[in-house]
Amino acid sequence: MASRYPFVMIGPCALPNNSALLALIGLFLIIFVSAIGCIREEDISLEQRSHQLAAQLMCPICDGQTIDGSNAQISQDMRQKVRELLDEGKTNGEIKDYFVLRYGEDILAAPEGSGFNLLAWVVPVFIVFGGVGIALLTIKNMRKAGIQAQSSPTPAAQNGDLSDFLAQVDRDLSGVAESASSARDSNPSNPQNDEANS
Amino acid sequence: MADLGVMALLLGMALSAYSVVGSIVGEKRGMAELVVSARRAMYMTLAAAAVASGALVNAFVQNDFSIKYVAEHSNTLMDRAFVWVAFYSGNEGSLLYILLMLALISAIAIWFAPKRLARSMPWTIAILAVIQLFYFGVLTLVASPFELLDTVPLDGRGINPLLTHPGMFSHPPLLMGGLIAITIPFAFISGALLVGNYGDDWIDVVRVSAIIGWGVLGTGMLLGAWWAYTILGWGGYWAWDPIENVALMPFLVLTAFIHSIMVQKRRGMFRMWNVALMNIAFVLAQLGMFINRGGPVVSVHSFAASTLGIIFMIFMFVGLVFAFGLFLWRMPHLKSDRVMESFLSRESAFLVNNFLFLAVMAVTLWGVLYPLFSDLARDVSVSVAAPYFDRANGPVLLGIVVMMGIGPLLPWRKASARSLKQWLIWPTLVGVVAIGILLAVGVQRPIAIFAFGVVAFVAASISEEWWRGTAARVRSGDNWPMAWWRLVNGNRPRHGGYIVHISILMLGLGIIGTNFYQQRTDGTLELGQSLVIDNYRIEYVDNGNSSRPDRVAQWAEMTVYRIDEDDYAVEFDTARADGATGFTLEDSSPRTNDKLLGTIEPWHGFYADFNMASVRSGIRSTIVEDLYVIPRDFLADGRVSLAVSINPLAWWLWASGPFFIIGTMVALWPQAAVERRPTKKKIPEKIQASPEGGN
Repeated sequence: MASRYPFVMIGPCALPNNSALLALIGLFLIIFVSAIGCIREEDISLEQRSHQLAAQLMCPICDGQTIDGSNAQISQDMRQKVRELLDEGKTNGEIKDYFVLRYGEDILAAPEGSGFNLLAWVVPVFIVFGGVGIALLTIKNMRKAGIQAQSSPTPAAQNGDLSDFLAQVDRDLSGVAESASSARDSNPSNPQNDEANS
Repeated sequence: MADLGVMALLLGMALSAYSVVGSIVGEKRGMAELVVSARRAMYMTLAAAAVASGALVNAFVQNDFSIKYVAEHSNTLMDRAFVWVAFYSGNEGSLLYILLMLALISAIAIWFAPKRLARSMPWTIAILAVIQLFYFGVLTLVASPFELLDTVPLDGRGINPLLTHPGMFSHPPLLMGGLIAITIPFAFISGALLVGNYGDDWIDVVRVSAIIGWGVLGTGMLLGAWWAYTILGWGGYWAWDPIENVALMPFLVLTAFIHSIMVQKRRGMFRMWNVALMNIAFVLAQLGMFINRGGPVVSVHSFAASTLGIIFMIFMFVGLVFAFGLFLWRMPHLKSDRVMESFLSRESAFLVNNFLFLAVMAVTLWGVLYPLFSDLARDVSVSVAAPYFDRANGPVLLGIVVMMGIGPLLPWRKASARSLKQWLIWPTLVGVVAIGILLAVGVQRPIAIFAFGVVAFVAASISEEWWRGTAARVRSGDNWPMAWWRLVNGNRPRHGGYIVHISILMLGLGIIGTNFYQQRTDGTLELGQSLVIDNYRIEYVDNGNSSRPDRVAQWAEMTVYRIDEDDYAVEFDTARADGATGFTLEDSSPRTNDKLLGTIEPWHGFYADFNMASVRSGIRSTIVEDLYVIPRDFLADGRVSLAVSINPLAWWLWASGPFFIIGTMVALWPQAAVERRPTKKKIPEKIQASPEGGN
């Protein structure tokens, strides 16, 4: 899941109809996916697992520290308990439940992705995809405005033709702090920096 | 001394109030002399803040325990070098420090402000003065560092032991300075908007001041991470603690800003967007100040909860309403000069990059606020700590790194897909080959391998640019180093940016290594015993302790050997069967292939007055991995209990720092020659040469 984000994000923006490039990225993806397929996660020792679990449990008396990081007596006891439960063959989920039952939900360093707390995890996905979506939409609209401006025959007609469109763009962009003016596109009075500078 | 300080603060309050009123009235009524006088008052507030700070420092030096703040944050035992740290180690002192920094950078900014901003300067000064007035007011009325005690104690309580570390000389001041420095670009932009100056006159000064604040903030965070790694003794360097997050959020927005300001500078686009970004950064900086002063979230860092919280919250909301009210009012005037020509352009890459940075910021903010939200919505407390942020932000941060490899390859306006493809082939190949090699040598953890591939991709992309640019100059007769130097000099903002990108890649290596490949084991050793982990043997050879009036310190001396796993095959098998990563050896006599590496001395101090322990880990660092030994406990019978870890690539985290600073300075270095702009604006020579005239 995690590894898919970058491609979703750069996909539509940077790769417009270029088969060779797509093929390259595709190759990249295939190698990556097969890498996941081929590689077996190494067998993690119980000790490693106990450290991983300790990093997911908060110390009940310290401010914002996990039991992995804190040296308080209760953290030491809890680490001990984690190890005991692991030795008994409990799964990570069972061990977390054990502590939630005794200390409450805030013993977990990250909320579980279920019930009300699903919200904690869903909102970031919306933020990321919403944000990238808005960015791409903005570019698209700004570009459309540019294309229309260029194809208009006279400046007068340009302004007349575009007023509705601009209003539409403005509506589209409400909430996005970006502007899509095209009327000034051909304004020659702004001399600065036309260098392509690649 | 206390009287002097109080008087200086009162005077400063009066001066800044005068500056606010004088600037606004003088501007409105056209009284030029009043405006000048109000401006000069801003230099006097610096004097007032400096006198107040000097009074407090002097009180520390003189051990004047009649002042409550001095009595609570130092004692006669304290090394005088730590006066500087004690100065800002508490609530009141740190506010005074922030005020001093604000007054200092305000004065510098006003002094060096380009003449062409003359029209908006009164408003800029008024905004700076309002913020100074706020701090002078808080220091005078609510949190005075010069409060006196009724009975003078014989000795003070002492400095917080966690702060007695060289890192503390620079980490907190840089962090606080960076947060308050955001005020300067904000004041320049807001001043211009207030007066109705919609041109791009302010771009250079805003860009420079924003990059300075950004660089200071970034350096401060990195030093904080380094301090946590070497002294806090929990084995990590970044915990996504709320206080870390509130420094990170404005940093992220500023990062977006210093990218997109280039679009405005070069292409006259994104004006509205840049103003919005700066507003967000400013409000987030105020949020940081608020959460630092007793905000509603739990953190290891925060000062004791105080009534200050509510005051700073109100100030934050006032800032929010002002910034965005002004923005909405002036929005219709902030149109772009040009339109976006293509998806495949640097403009659009910058925009996507901006949204990714904002996304990380928003997700972080959501994580910080979610516990409050859960509390309010259903009365259940939850914690949101590192595991959440790692998972929610990790993929997006990786996406930003990917963009770092693609964006710079795109030219302004419009790229041809064909040339982009040619540019991308080489970096992509390098990335794929890197992944292939990692797989071939048996490295595990797919996500980390992919991330390494991305780092290689970006590194190749930067190298390719430098290679091609340098080679082109070599063909015209330069030698290689000279050609590269000229290339970098030709466009410092861009190539300084690349150096910073390299530092981010180094940081990335460290983050991937320590997060995905850390190995850990715990053990308790008697003298003469050894702990073995991976191919290290740590032998406990000696211990010692010292008792000072303020603390009891204990340390262990340990010798580190590199071992050959075959020599210890039996023990390793037993340990693995047991589910352990490492094991303890009773007999420490060296085996055939043991190689002495060096000595480490984990240290543990207990400060009775504070009921606080301070731990210094024993670290043996190489560019490949750190051996990191935390002394958990020194037991009465001489045994020591250790938490040992191997942190791969941790060295790169700290090595990135110099690159970050150098890159930032290259990007900032004034570009004396504006030669590449054929039709330059009429800028006087003097301003071109001054820092904010830089390109």
